[in-house]
Amino acid sequence: MTTAGLHCEQLSRRVGDRLLLDGLNLSVAPGESLALLGPSGCGKTTTLRLLAGLDPVSGGRIRLDGQDVTHSPAGERQVAMVFQSYALYPHLSVLANLELGLEVRRVPAPERRQRIAEVLALLQLEGLERRRPAQLSGGQRQRVALARALLRQPRLMLLDEPMSNLDAQLRDQLRPELRALLHRAGHPVIHVTHDQQEAMGLADRIAVLESGVLQQVGTPQELYHRPANLFVARFLGRPGINLLAGEAGVQLGIRPEQLRLVESGGLPARLLRREWQGSQQLLWLDTSRGELLLLAEASLSPGEQLQVSWRPEDELRFSSASGERLA
Amino acid sequence: MPIALPLLAALIWSLLPLLWQLLTSLRTPEALVLQGPAAWLQGWTLANYRQVLQGDPPFWRYLFNSCLVGAASTGLTLLLAIPAAYGLQRQRPALRGGISLLLLAAAMFPYVLLFLALLELARALGWGNQLLALALPYAGLSLPLAVLLLRAAFADLPAELEDAARLEGLNLWQRLHRVLLPLLAPAVASTAILVFLFSWNEYPIALTWISRNDMLTLPVAMARIAGSSVYAVPYGAFAAATVLGGLPLLALVLVFQRQIVSGLTQGAVKG
Amino acid sequence: MTLLLLLPALALVLGVFLWPLLRYGWLSLQASSVLTGLVPMPNGGANWQRLLADARFWQDAAQTLRFAGLSLALELLLGLGLALLLHRPLPRRGLVRALVLLPWALPTTVMALGWRWILNDPFGPLNGLLQSLGLPAYGFLSQPASTWLFTVLADVWKTTPFVALLLLAGLQAIPSELEEALRLEGAGPWQRLRRLTLPLLAPYLLLTALFRLAQALGVFDLIQVLTGGGPASSTESLALYAYLNAMRFLDFGYAATLMLGMFALVLGLSALVLLTQALRRRLAEVTP
Repeated sequence: MTTAGLHCEQLSRRVGDRLLLDGLNLSVAPGESLALLGPSGCGKTTTLRLLAGLDPVSGGRIRLDGQDVTHSPAGERQVAMVFQSYALYPHLSVLANLELGLEVRRVPAPERRQRIAEVLALLQLEGLERRRPAQLSGGQRQRVALARALLRQPRLMLLDEPMSNLDAQLRDQLRPELRALLHRAGHPVIHVTHDQQEAMGLADRIAVLESGVLQQVGTPQELYHRPANLFVARFLGRPGINLLAGEAGVQLGIRPEQLRLVESGGLPARLLRREWQGSQQLLWLDTSRGELLLLAEASLSPGEQLQVSWRPEDELRFSSASGERLA
Repeated sequence: MPIALPLLAALIWSLLPLLWQLLTSLRTPEALVLQGPAAWLQGWTLANYRQVLQGDPPFWRYLFNSCLVGAASTGLTLLLAIPAAYGLQRQRPALRGGISLLLLAAAMFPYVLLFLALLELARALGWGNQLLALALPYAGLSLPLAVLLLRAAFADLPAELEDAARLEGLNLWQRLHRVLLPLLAPAVASTAILVFLFSWNEYPIALTWISRNDMLTLPVAMARIAGSSVYAVPYGAFAAATVLGGLPLLALVLVFQRQIVSGLTQGAVKG
Repeated sequence: MTLLLLLPALALVLGVFLWPLLRYGWLSLQASSVLTGLVPMPNGGANWQRLLADARFWQDAAQTLRFAGLSLALELLLGLGLALLLHRPLPRRGLVRALVLLPWALPTTVMALGWRWILNDPFGPLNGLLQSLGLPAYGFLSQPASTWLFTVLADVWKTTPFVALLLLAGLQAIPSELEEALRLEGAGPWQRLRRLTLPLLAPYLLLTALFRLAQALGVFDLIQVLTGGGPASSTESLALYAYLNAMRFLDFGYAATLMLGMFALVLGLSALVLLTQALRRRLAEVTP
């Protein structure tokens, strides 16, 4: 077991009698980017705050580069965080925002100036030094927050919904840039999101959380094609996975794009309604085994009788009782 | 247009008694008792102001005393209220709610009830006739409202700002001094002005703690001028004193009306 | 740890508010007057027996209630009107608010003296007005039956702006969409006030009323300076009576008892207001 990077064992957080996080085991290597994905209230922000030292841990251990930081104060962990709101100090200029942390850590002035100049250049923020946060665009604010985090020279970089305050177009543009930048910086990165597209675009691995319990960790491809359980299967993929009754005690899952329309020999189906989505149509089909969703290019009208089929190897089989995927 | 009339009425209602004081202060005693329109042509004088300003002690002495007490009370109140408000905001909701409710009850309490026990304390500790000692009860009386107002202001700041500062290694003092307080400046200003107004206007405690003529605060001095007899008050001189005593407050209210209003408003919203 | 930050402030607040009440509790069971040389000596419940039999105490209690009741009613009514006025778009809003607020900001004693001149018999401007209308001068401050009304007038003049500002805060917290929605449904201004504004303003009205009730029951500065409690004690408030017992008759034991009696009155009435409010809310919940 390597010691570099982040390792947490059995990490828990309890408030009153509510268990917000239950025995989380997670490791992130230097240079690796992990997304914590889940619906709101699943414990992903709790995890981030525990790692940052902003909330006290109820159980378990956190080790950073081999050092136990479970109970270290936030300011001594060398952990940086980009907050959802960016949390830029509104009364300070961009320069003063970047300088405050260095100043209280008694970094000598010449070194401060040099490091700030480097990070400003890296994030293309030159010329904005004198502006207040309110005078910046959303994308610029995000870059200033990132610059402040990078100046911390962190052993772990945390990002809380870093894209949620940006419009869709800017998100698509910034995602690859951010990913490249974080890879170059070389520290372990954890970023929290409820947006699977963002998770897949930014992260090497994704950890899916639900009700404070880790469901699965893996590459985006693993999670999509080999989900550990029904929750993960349903949470990833849009339009969502089709679920049909299989043999006794088994539920089948098939992704909409893996269903196809056939001339004969398939499952008879009637087209209920359709939604035009540009390049494809989303079709709702009524079959004897339940309602199915499928993506097709053909032009069809409601009421038509069709037949659907899929390859048996694309079937995902889940236990109806536990929701776990069966081999 | 329909709004102009009631507005005018409200302004006249508020200002007429004050304007009358101003008018009275500029009239000779003889002119004050004259009747009829002809009286307005004569009897204008500045003698009342001269009399007040050259009295013993001169009137500015009371203004100075009140300023001194006001400044000391405001300073002491803020010194205690800012950390208390921060500490209160960091408590568990149940405890925070309980303490806030007690503070609210204290802020509403008719404090005149307390003067006798406070007077006993002042005598036991030898604080009578000590202007600065007044700052202690004044701060104690102002603290409930001040803590509530500042607590609400702390609650309005995004929690992520302080989290960010903690991650950067700022200690509590640095977070307050470098990040939180600059953002709270408007709320601190509102609170300061309300505390200053309270201590400038406070009467029963100043009345019982201070007896030396040159140590009186403005409200007590004014009451003492008139205290002798209802019928023999030198009204012209007194009106001049009212005007002089009111001018600093007029300036304060005109300059800081936004802070005063927002302070009162916050008090209402968060209380 | 953060609790430590609270402690100095809490200690001073407790010292100023709680200590006197505890002290009064003890002092009210002592004889401590000129007769004892102000040295407290236990006298059983003599002070309390005296209080119950003290006609002047009960008269002052009634007078204080009368003053507080009328002042509160007028201040809430006028304050609400003023708040509705100030809530509308106004030219030079800041200046208008500052000018309206001025009476509240001035020391009570200062303006009580101002009112003493305005109400002066026969030279005050109000009597000047009466006389120029051909009416006889009126002894505003020398009629045992009516002088209390003029103490109410002075209090209402000074405090209405404060009430108005608190209520204004409540008005500004009501989203304007609500009023616009009701207007689209054809509700007139009176209906909008009664069906929307007043119910949403209720918590502010309650808070303001409680605050003003407690303050009015403790009225002291105004009465002491404007009338000195006269004529014939007809405007004397409980606070003034307690003050006289302490400072003029030098009877600390009885003064402390009076303070506690007054405290009980404030507490009881506040509880009553809160209770009726709670009851009304409960009733509104049960009745459809």
